[in-house]
Amino acid sequence: MPVSKPDCALLILGHGSTENPDSSQPSWDNADTIEKTGQFGSVHCAFWKEEPSFRQIWPMIEENEVYIVPNFISEGYFTRQVLPRELEIEGHTTIRNGRTIHYCDPVGIHPAMTGLLIKRAKEIIDDSVKLEDTTLIIVGHGTNLNQKSTEAIKVQVEAIRASGEPFADVLDAYMEEAPFIADWQTLAQSPTVVVVPFFIADALHSFQDIPVLLGIETEPTAAASQREVFRQNPYRFGDRTLYYSSAIGTDPSLAEVIVDQVSYFDEHYRP
Amino acid sequence: MTLAEELESYLPAGATLRFGQLQLSRTPEGSFVACHADDRTMLPKLEEIDSISGLRDLAKCDGSGEFRPLKTAPTLKSGWKTQSSSAKDFLRRLDAIYPGVFATWVAYDRNEHGPTSLRRTLDRQTGMYRFAGTITDQMANRIMRELCSPGCLRKIAWPLNDQCIVSKIKREPMSIPVICTEACTFAISRARELAKEAYDRENAPGN
Ligand code: SF4
Repeated sequence: MPVSKPDCALLILGHGSTENPDSSQPSWDNADTIEKTGQFGSVHCAFWKEEPSFRQIWPMIEENEVYIVPNFISEGYFTRQVLPRELEIEGHTTIRNGRTIHYCDPVGIHPAMTGLLIKRAKEIIDDSVKLEDTTLIIVGHGTNLNQKSTEAIKVQVEAIRASGEPFADVLDAYMEEAPFIADWQTLAQSPTVVVVPFFIADALHSFQDIPVLLGIETEPTAAASQREVFRQNPYRFGDRTLYYSSAIGTDPSLAEVIVDQVSYFDEHYRP
Repeated sequence: MTLAEELESYLPAGATLRFGQLQLSRTPEGSFVACHADDRTMLPKLEEIDSISGLRDLAKCDGSGEFRPLKTAPTLKSGWKTQSSSAKDFLRRLDAIYPGVFATWVAYDRNEHGPTSLRRTLDRQTGMYRFAGTITDQMANRIMRELCSPGCLRKIAWPLNDQCIVSKIKREPMSIPVICTEACTFAISRARELAKEAYDRENAPGN
């Protein structure tokens, strides 16, 4: 739902990377999309591992009211500890030096993500493929370090199952914990399988590691061919057909989810 | 004054300024122009980049295609120019190349954004960076010598610790200072590496 906040700034926070030039791109793309709509006085991005950094951002923002939306997939160490510490904010709303700063929930936990995952899965399979013959697998990293992202994926899987979309099955799978994505052929029973990575950017996991685990690449692909892996759909494995999507965070509709988090903040947390 | 108005006052019509590796100028008609300082004598021949995303892409990699996560590394590509008649839009273009560098200088100069000492920055770290604060002053100097001096155009404005007194950076004529008010992620990562090396040395078998 669009908002009208010409006196407020929107600040999108991303992880960024010192190695992968594509990591910050989804945040910049979303910022550009939102900026063009004129819903905010200004739209900014800041990153943990790139510039502008979380510590450099405040002098750049001139509005007295700021909404911060973490472009992160789940709540956890980053959204609860690192981001508030680096931005010197506390709780939902911080008032500092005459400025009011609202800290919204991360994009990945907004209810709209469910619709986005369904849309993404439907978009990449061919029109002739029936959902009744298709298993949707949402894939994440896994491991105890990142329990919150595992939880976020399980919530999405339940929500898609409950949505009434006629997928043969909806499953969660992980790179580093069971159920393993490498076992997709035994996890899914249907003739067609569509795999959507629950990550913000097409970083190493989605264009290098997961393709190897799925068996569509034999070794991690070179950076130059990053995007190729998503262009070669579908992949055939005997009588099974596999479709592999780019990371959910690269979907252009994520810009709407960012704005939705601002509306959600106003409805639920605004003092 | 807004940041755009500040920029306008730094760069009156007909003026030229140095900003990192950039040359900024303002035509007598009031248009703002930026190019790589190496290209300043061949402005008419330069290819124009007319979008903020185009400038962000330009700053992403160096001439040999290597990713530039540190935007103030002295490796900005040459051979282009960008111009705008609006100070606000021109500032956004500069931010695509040097994110927040102008705003940081203005806030520092107005005493609204003081530097954070290296110790304070390192001691704040958690998770895998929590031991970065155990580096010695010698190691901190090594980071500045080996990482900051050759690899970054920013002038360090932060002290080593809160007890050190550092003099305020002054603006040189015909330039906008490129300053560092707080150690970046590269310096923190390097501190972590040095701390880990020292720990491993001390705890090596036989020690
Ligand atoms: S600490 Fe500051 S001066 Fe050193 S490399 Fe990082 S940004 Fe540059």
